[in-house]
Amino acid sequence: MSGPAIEVRGLRRVFRVGGGLLGRDREVVAVDDVSFSVPKGGVLGVVGESGCGKSTLARVILGLLPPTAGEVLVEGQRLDTMDRRARARLIQPVFQDPFASLNPRRRIRDIVAMPLEAQGGIGRREVEARVLEMLGRVGLSAEQAGRYPAQLSGGQRQRVAIARALVLRPRIVICDEPTSALDVSVQAQILNLLAQLRRELDLTLLFISHNLAVVEHVATEVAVMYLGRIVERGEADALFRAPRHPYTRALLASVLTPEPGLGVPDVGLGDILPDPANIPPGCRFHPRCPVAEPRCATDVPQRGAVECLLAAD
Amino acid sequence: MASDRGAPQARSVNRPPPEAKSLLEIEGLRVTFGQTAAVRGASFSVARGETHCVVGESGCGKSVTALAVMDLLVQGAQRSADRLQFGGEDLLTLPAKRMAALRGDRMAMIFQEPMTSLNPAYTIGSQMAEVFTRHRGGGRAAALERAAGLLGRVGITAPGMRLGQFPHQLSGGLRQRVMIAMALMCDPELLIADEPTTALDVTVQAQILRLLAELQRDLGLAILLITHDLGIVARIADKVSVMYAGEVVESGATAPIFAAPSHPYTRGLLRCVPVPGKVKRDELLGSIPGVVPRIPPGFVGCGFRDRCEHAVAGCAAPVPRQNAGGGHEYLCRLAPGWAA
Repeated sequence: MSGPAIEVRGLRRVFRVGGGLLGRDREVVAVDDVSFSVPKGGVLGVVGESGCGKSTLARVILGLLPPTAGEVLVEGQRLDTMDRRARARLIQPVFQDPFASLNPRRRIRDIVAMPLEAQGGIGRREVEARVLEMLGRVGLSAEQAGRYPAQLSGGQRQRVAIARALVLRPRIVICDEPTSALDVSVQAQILNLLAQLRRELDLTLLFISHNLAVVEHVATEVAVMYLGRIVERGEADALFRAPRHPYTRALLASVLTPEPGLGVPDVGLGDILPDPANIPPGCRFHPRCPVAEPRCATDVPQRGAVECLLAAD
Repeated sequence: MASDRGAPQARSVNRPPPEAKSLLEIEGLRVTFGQTAAVRGASFSVARGETHCVVGESGCGKSVTALAVMDLLVQGAQRSADRLQFGGEDLLTLPAKRMAALRGDRMAMIFQEPMTSLNPAYTIGSQMAEVFTRHRGGGRAAALERAAGLLGRVGITAPGMRLGQFPHQLSGGLRQRVMIAMALMCDPELLIADEPTTALDVTVQAQILRLLAELQRDLGLAILLITHDLGIVARIADKVSVMYAGEVVESGATAPIFAAPSHPYTRGLLRCVPVPGKVKRDELLGSIPGVVPRIPPGFVGCGFRDRCEHAVAGCAAPVPRQNAGGGHEYLCRLAPGWAA
């Protein structure tokens, strides 16, 4: 029995934001004491609205941002004890916009070769062979390897980003909105590709998305983030079948499935928007919560799988 | 949210009967940019009080169609049509000055990213008032009063305070509400909305779409909504036009199109959408192989044939428009009922 692929303990990340000319600096708690683990081969879907901290969480786990507190363990090893090369062999990112994350002046083959070259000590021939093999796996030809990013479509560019992430054969891939910039038909191709590669290469995925329908399709487990905290987490099927947190329920209700006649649901969240620089007391969701009671404004929900005062029973 | 404050002196009560003549009629619209035919003979119409969705993927010509209607195409674009009429006016021959008077007045529009359509240097109030005074004249005070009323109408709290704020002080959802309120300043007959909720969170998207539906009901507004999202189409459209490679490949009332999609592209697109509870995990989603082609002027035959599993040699010849009944039409060699 082996341990989890990713384990996150008490992770916290605070940003200081300037208050302007006369204002005082403010603290924005983007990730607030988050703990979870992902078993090997699992797919943890992280969902939430913009500003909920899901991308900050991804960056801290990738080692791109140091945590303010807490620790990240990847295959049992503390991330902060590893050097960049060791980290790169274990964990790799795929970001939303493949155009912004690919160097426009380099050919596809050189972009995908970069992580191998950064490791050092790998011969030219082997680099070339591994690059072409990985491009083949993501559905790109040797001919396309000689092109520049601008000569490819959005979906093909995302395939390049996936090839670059996988060329070192990492154990874990952090996907941050990997299909949000793509057309529906291309999104389906990329989701199918990720599912296939996960099986073939035995990957563990952290899949961040605002699209619940996509997360439902790929995730084995789901974490719902709201203002820096995971307010509900659980096994994907159970969570989608019987969401317990009112926020999860509202998110699910907002999914517009292509079923005519149902109209647009009233998600009941009101007009107040969450502000990470000004986290409400009590339950942080209470100002928007359609079922909030007076005590929700003062009592802090207990830590757990569902952080809601009303869902305890 | 449904307050009556400042509701426009309205057509709201006498909503026209459903069989009313079309407000916007587009027939055989063509737009080319140099060697690219972006819109190739698109036809559809939008009746008063109706929501018509044009749906398709990037590059299908849906936004260009909207811009062509508003005469806002970039320089160098060539627009032609067999017919392009709005409320009895022939837009093809309308002088630029009169077209400019129509835009923002009888025909208003909102875009995907409100931040790029709002001027960051002016307050919400002065931008909203300008729309009204430019088209309708009158004093600034009256225009501001109307603006405050409409901000309340679109569900913005403390509208008086918002008038003095700048766009960057508002959230994305509030900015889109401001854009909608601004579009309503002159009590338009047609609202053209190009991906109005694409940049918003899902919860806010639901709120904005509900608002649009409510405004349409109350004001008898016709809405032409451009989107890539079949979920939005299913939930709010009365009629749908599916565009692919510059053509309307399938059109009709919403329910029959989703119940019996008949163009291979529409069918493929619907299979690509993950629907909670419908597609099992680890089961592949449907997908459409290949990419959208670039179509040169003079292209003949079906634009989808290179990606279509049903394509035969004959698809390189002009394609018939099939009638599936009840106004449901599609552009394909396959006869109605082929998919049943």
